[in-house]
Amino acid sequence: MDLGKALSIGIKDLREVFSSFEIYGPMLGVPMFFAFLLPYLTFYVTQHSGGSVLARLISVPASVAGIPQAQGFIFMSFFAVSVLGPIFLTMPILTASVIAADSFAGEKERKTSEALLATPITRSELLLGKIIASFLPTVVLTLAVFAIYGCITNYLAYQMFQQYILPTPPWLMMLLVAPFLAIGTIGVVVFVSSHVKGIKEAQQISTLLVLPILVMPFIAILGIAQLSVEFLLWLTAFLAVADIVVVYLGVKSFRKEYML
Amino acid sequence: MNGIITAKGIVKTFGKTIAVNRINFRSSKGINIVLGPNGAGKSTFLRCIDGLYKVDSGSVQVFDEDPYRNDLLKSKLSLLTDNYALYDFLSVRNNLRFFGRLYGLSSDESVRRAEAILKRLDALQYFDKKVYELSRGTKQKVAFCRAIINSPDILLLDEPTAFLDAHSAEQVRRILFEYEKEGKTIVFVTQKLDEVTRFNGKISIISLGRIVKETTTEGLYNTVLKNTLVNIRLAKPVPVNIIDKIAGFREANGKDATLIKFRVKNYKDINMVIKALLAHGCSIVGVDYIEHLIEDLAGGSYGSWESA
Repeated sequence: MDLGKALSIGIKDLREVFSSFEIYGPMLGVPMFFAFLLPYLTFYVTQHSGGSVLARLISVPASVAGIPQAQGFIFMSFFAVSVLGPIFLTMPILTASVIAADSFAGEKERKTSEALLATPITRSELLLGKIIASFLPTVVLTLAVFAIYGCITNYLAYQMFQQYILPTPPWLMMLLVAPFLAIGTIGVVVFVSSHVKGIKEAQQISTLLVLPILVMPFIAILGIAQLSVEFLLWLTAFLAVADIVVVYLGVKSFRKEYML
Repeated sequence: MNGIITAKGIVKTFGKTIAVNRINFRSSKGINIVLGPNGAGKSTFLRCIDGLYKVDSGSVQVFDEDPYRNDLLKSKLSLLTDNYALYDFLSVRNNLRFFGRLYGLSSDESVRRAEAILKRLDALQYFDKKVYELSRGTKQKVAFCRAIINSPDILLLDEPTAFLDAHSAEQVRRILFEYEKEGKTIVFVTQKLDEVTRFNGKISIISLGRIVKETTTEGLYNTVLKNTLVNIRLAKPVPVNIIDKIAGFREANGKDATLIKFRVKNYKDINMVIKALLAHGCSIVGVDYIEHLIEDLAGGSYGSWESA
């Protein structure tokens, strides 16, 4: 395999994505909007009803009973990590699906694949190049969104409680989960792109992957499971296995002529 | 280098549509023309040769290898498709540098070659423009540049001059003649009779997915110019009553004519007409024929070609 050719394909795809606002605008805009908006939402809820809501959500330690300031801090920590954390985990799925769908199904839709496939590139070089193009910006964007969200949340927490909330071990674990979600999404897009005609179909199918993630806040709120380090380690292991299966199926089913 | 492309009984279907139907083809050195109407299967045939499509049955061999299975064979091949297949949001420079890299050229070498080709095609001024900013003709020049940037041994071209102005089309033809002189193989797909007759190459007529005849330029003229109208253009007006007795005269564009129509039985009659016009003191600046619709020529029972 010629890694240089794979990298050329990856760089070309990235250039294409970031030269079109139609593609990168929504991809950057929505996560950034959430990164700024959600910390303020957390802060607002904490300030106005944190203590009363907290008692209904989780068992409050006796040591902080009757101390609104401490209850508020616990609530904000819970809300920032267990409720909003999973929402941020949808970012790698959404971002990867946008870029990967444009990269695979987009070539087909715009009919640029004919010239690409007429060059002496192997299936492995093509797939690796396109996976690089989808994976790198997804991980970078997810890290950026987590960092912005973390900074704003800490700033607000410090204003209110003179303490920082983030990072916590579960929150850092979520960062570890993000690349696995991205790879799984790309694998699904590779598989789906072989069977659909355009970008929209590929995106619509692959974004269904956010549904299981969106269940996680409810799991935490209903007390079924906490987003603990142990839980997230199991999740990471599960995703790693799932990624291997999905990417294997995607790569195995991929035929260059499906892009035509 | 004769016969470096060999297709034996290839069939390619899309659903119930048979795009290519048991085609046998063996390339000759130089320019090989595939002529046929829209939907005849020309483009699909090219894509089968390039290895983009896996044929349903039969076999394609390029340099004795299967182009569908051997990706690296494509370093010796190049395909210009009819839809340009350029990246709209990238500049011409980045498009050509990217494809050059995939053909194994360095970035500098790709740019150097691209600049030289685009200069010949009078399109160097668009080098740093985004592709979506370009006209259709300029896109075609850039796509042609991409197709030859790796100096391939085999050039597969799908209507390469379709949207070019006369000067640029001539430049493309000159480049193709240079390729021919270098002993390379060109497969040129078109539906324009006029384009075909500019090359003295092997001509394969394709219709409904089949090659129905292999002919030469003379054979083509024998068919096309059978009992047809030709236009003779004159530099200076000539009174019609001087020339209307010439055999085959049909009409003129006025009492003092500069454009005269003659019906000829075959291409040899044109010489007789010209000789008669010259005898009447006419200054001839051009002769052209009213082109048959390629669909009519290649349609139905292929009778036109069979009798050629």
